[in-house]
Amino acid sequence: MFCDRAIELVRELHRAPEGQLLAFNEDGLRQVLEEMKALYEQNQSDVNEAKSGGRSDLIPTIKFRHCSLLRNRRCIIAYLYDRLLRIRALRWEYGSVLPSILRFHMSAEEVEWFNHYKKSLATYMRSLGGEEGLDITQDMKPPKSLYIEVRCLKDYGEFEVDDGTSVLLKKNSQHFLPRWKCEPLIRQGVLEHVLW
Amino acid sequence: MFVSDFRKEFYEVVQNQRVLLFVASDVDALCACKILQALFQCDHVQYTLVPVSGWQELETAFLEHKEQFRYFILINCGANIDLLDILQPDEDAIFFVCDTHRPVNVVNVYNDTQIKLLIKQDDDLEVPAYDDIFRDDEEEDEEHSEDKDDGSEPSEKRPRLEEEIVAETMKRRERREWEARRRDILFDYEQYEYHGTSSAMVMFDLAWMMSKDMNDMLWWAIVGLTDQWVQDRITQMKYVTDVGILQRHVSRHNHRDEDEENALSVDCMRISFEYDLRLALYQHWSLHDSLCNTCYTAARFKLWSVHGQKRLQEFLADMGLPLKQVKQKFQSMDISLKENLRELIEESANKFGMKDMRVQTFSIHFGFKHKFLASDVVFATMSLMESPEKDSSGTDNFIQALDSLSRGNLDKLYHGLELAKKQLLATQQTIASCLCTNLVISQGPFLYCSLMEGTPDVALFSKPASLSLLSRHLLKSFVCSTKNRRCKLLPLVMAAPLNVEQGTVTVVGIPPETDGSDRKNFFGRAFEKAAEGTNSRTLHNYFDFSVIELKAEDRSKFLDALISLLS
Repeated sequence: MFCDRAIELVRELHRAPEGQLLAFNEDGLRQVLEEMKALYEQNQSDVNEAKSGGRSDLIPTIKFRHCSLLRNRRCIIAYLYDRLLRIRALRWEYGSVLPSILRFHMSAEEVEWFNHYKKSLATYMRSLGGEEGLDITQDMKPPKSLYIEVRCLKDYGEFEVDDGTSVLLKKNSQHFLPRWKCEPLIRQGVLEHVLW
Repeated sequence: MFVSDFRKEFYEVVQNQRVLLFVASDVDALCACKILQALFQCDHVQYTLVPVSGWQELETAFLEHKEQFRYFILINCGANIDLLDILQPDEDAIFFVCDTHRPVNVVNVYNDTQIKLLIKQDDDLEVPAYDDIFRDDEEEDEEHSEDKDDGSEPSEKRPRLEEEIVAETMKRRERREWEARRRDILFDYEQYEYHGTSSAMVMFDLAWMMSKDMNDMLWWAIVGLTDQWVQDRITQMKYVTDVGILQRHVSRHNHRDEDEENALSVDCMRISFEYDLRLALYQHWSLHDSLCNTCYTAARFKLWSVHGQKRLQEFLADMGLPLKQVKQKFQSMDISLKENLRELIEESANKFGMKDMRVQTFSIHFGFKHKFLASDVVFATMSLMESPEKDSSGTDNFIQALDSLSRGNLDKLYHGLELAKKQLLATQQTIASCLCTNLVISQGPFLYCSLMEGTPDVALFSKPASLSLLSRHLLKSFVCSTKNRRCKLLPLVMAAPLNVEQGTVTVVGIPPETDGSDRKNFFGRAFEKAAEGTNSRTLHNYFDFSVIELKAEDRSKFLDALISLLS
C-alpha cells in the first residue's frame, strides 16, 4: 500500500522516548522519496493521457495518487520537523557542544541547522542583560536566589570567584557565594548547601 | 574609632563588598552572627564565616585569608587588645569590631582609619582623653638631648646653653610627670574587665534601623542577652533595662495574639514575654531535677547536705506538690498542679529565703509541642559548643551550635538540651563533692579550688564557659555554706585539668560574690603579671583574659606570685 514507508518513519519517532534523537533514517527517507517520485511520474503520464486522450476515468486514480503524494509529504515534513525540535532541546540540555554520539545521529543539514540555531541563541543572549549578556540556558525556572549559603566539608584550598579574587575553602567555614559557582563543588562533595 | 551611624558607615560600606566574618565561640556571638547572616543574605553580600576560639586561631585565620579580603568583621573578639599590632594587616584593610569585651583598647578607640568599633557609646566606657595618653612632641625632646650629649661644644655658647639646660630639665620633668600620670590612667582604665551591651542586640538594632528586622532576629537578640545574664556578665540593672527594650520590640512583632479573630495559626512562631521561674530547663525536665540542679535553689537549700535535702522536701510539702508528680517529666505533671505553679513556687520560695525566684524573660512558641524559654536555648547551645566529643579542628562544635539556633534544626536543639542536662547534673555533683571534701581553701586574698584528674566528668569542665559556670556556682554555694564572714567576700580562682598528656590546666578567676556587684574582673591583669613575674608557661589564648592555660608544674609558683600580688 502507498505511504507505508512514510508511516513507518512517523511511527519510529513516536516510539522513541521523549527527547531522544535516533539516527537519521536516510534509507527510509530515500524510499519514501522514490515512492513519491514514482507516483508523480505515473500521475504525470496519466494527466497527459487524460487531457489529450480524453480518458476521464483516470481522474479518480490521479486524485488518489495526488492524495498519497500529499500524505507522504506531510509525513516527511513531520519527521524532519520533529527531529529539529528534538535537536533544539538538546542545545538547552547539553550546551553548545554536543556529545559525539548525538552528532553521528544527525544528518549534515541538521548539523548546519543546529549551528545556525546556536548562533541565533547566542546573539539573543548577548543582547540581554547589559554588557555581558545573560546566559538564560542555566536555569529553566527562575532560581529562588542568586546566592546560596554553603558550608565547606573538607579543606579544598583557593577557589576563584567571579571578580578575580579568590576564597579560601577551609573545613567548617561557611560562605555565601553565587549559585552557579558552587554547583560543581556541591556535586563533588566539597561544599554542602546549608538550608535554613 | 566609634561608628556613629551604623547604617551609613558600616552596612552601606560593606554592602557591595566581600567580607570576612570572624566569630568568637560564645552564644552571644553566635546569635549576632545569625542576625548578620540573615541581613547579608537579604542583600546578597558575599561573605565568608570563620569560627575562632582564641587569639592564636584569629591570627592564623587572618594570615590565611588576608590576601582575599579587604573588609573584616569581628564579632565578640578584638576590642580589648591592640588589633593592628597583633594582626599586622595591610594599609587598606578595614576592621569592624562588634565586641562586648571592655575596656576597649585605647589604640582601637583612637585609630581613625582602619578600626571601626560597632559599639554604642554608653556612659560606662570612660575612655581616657586623647591628650592624656598620646603625645606627638617626642622627637623634639630626643633631638635636643642628643645635642646635649655631644661633648664638643664651643665655649662661647656656654652661657646660652645654661638657660637651655634649665628649660630642658623642666621639659623632661614635665614629661616624666605626664608619663607617670599616663601610666596611672591606663592602669585604672585597663585594670578591670567587664562586658557591655550584647552584640546580638547591637546587630538587631542595626536591622531595626534599616527596617529589616524580623521575629527570628528578635529571638536571636533575646538569646544573646539571656546568655549574658546566664553567664553573669552584666549587672541585674542592665539586664532589666535591656529586657525592657526588647519587650517593646516583642510587642511590636507579636501583638496579633491578643486579637482573637486575627490570631495567627499555631504553627507560626511567636515570642512572648514571661515572668517565669529561674529554674534551669524545668519545662524539659522534671521539676524535682530542675530544683536540684539550678544553682540558685541548690545553693540556697544547701542541697549537698542531708539537712538541705530535708529542706527541699519541706519546701515541696509546703506547696502541696506530691513527690511522685514532682519527679516525673514536667510535661506529664497534672494540669491542675501546673496551673498556678509559678505563683505557688514564688510564695513558698519567699518563705524559704529566696526572693528572686522569678525573673523576666521571653519564651518562643511554634507548633503544638515546641515551647522554649530563652535560658533553655542558651544552655542547649552552650552545651553543644563545649561538648567534649571528639572535635578534630575545633570548629565542628561551633557549626553544630550555630545550626541549633535555626528553627529547622530542632533535633540538634533537643540534643543540646540533653547535653545541658548532663552538664548541669555534673556541675552540681562536682560542687557537692568539692564542698563536702573541703576542696575550697582560702589562700589569703582569694579562695582556691583545684579539680583532680580522676574526678568524674572532669572532661566536661575543660572549656572556658563550662569551667566559669562551675566556678561561679561553686562560689555562690560556698558563700551560702560557709560561716566565715571574711571568706564570703573573697574572689575564687579555680583550676581544672585540660590536657593530661601535655600536663596543662585551665585556670579561671571569678570576682567576689556581692549583692550589688558590678561584675568587674581584675584577674585578667593579675594573671598576666603573675605569669610574667615567675616565668610560668601560660597561654593567654581566650578572648576573656580571666581564663588562661597553665602548665601544671608551674602551678604552685604561679599561685604564690598571685597571692603576693593581690595581698
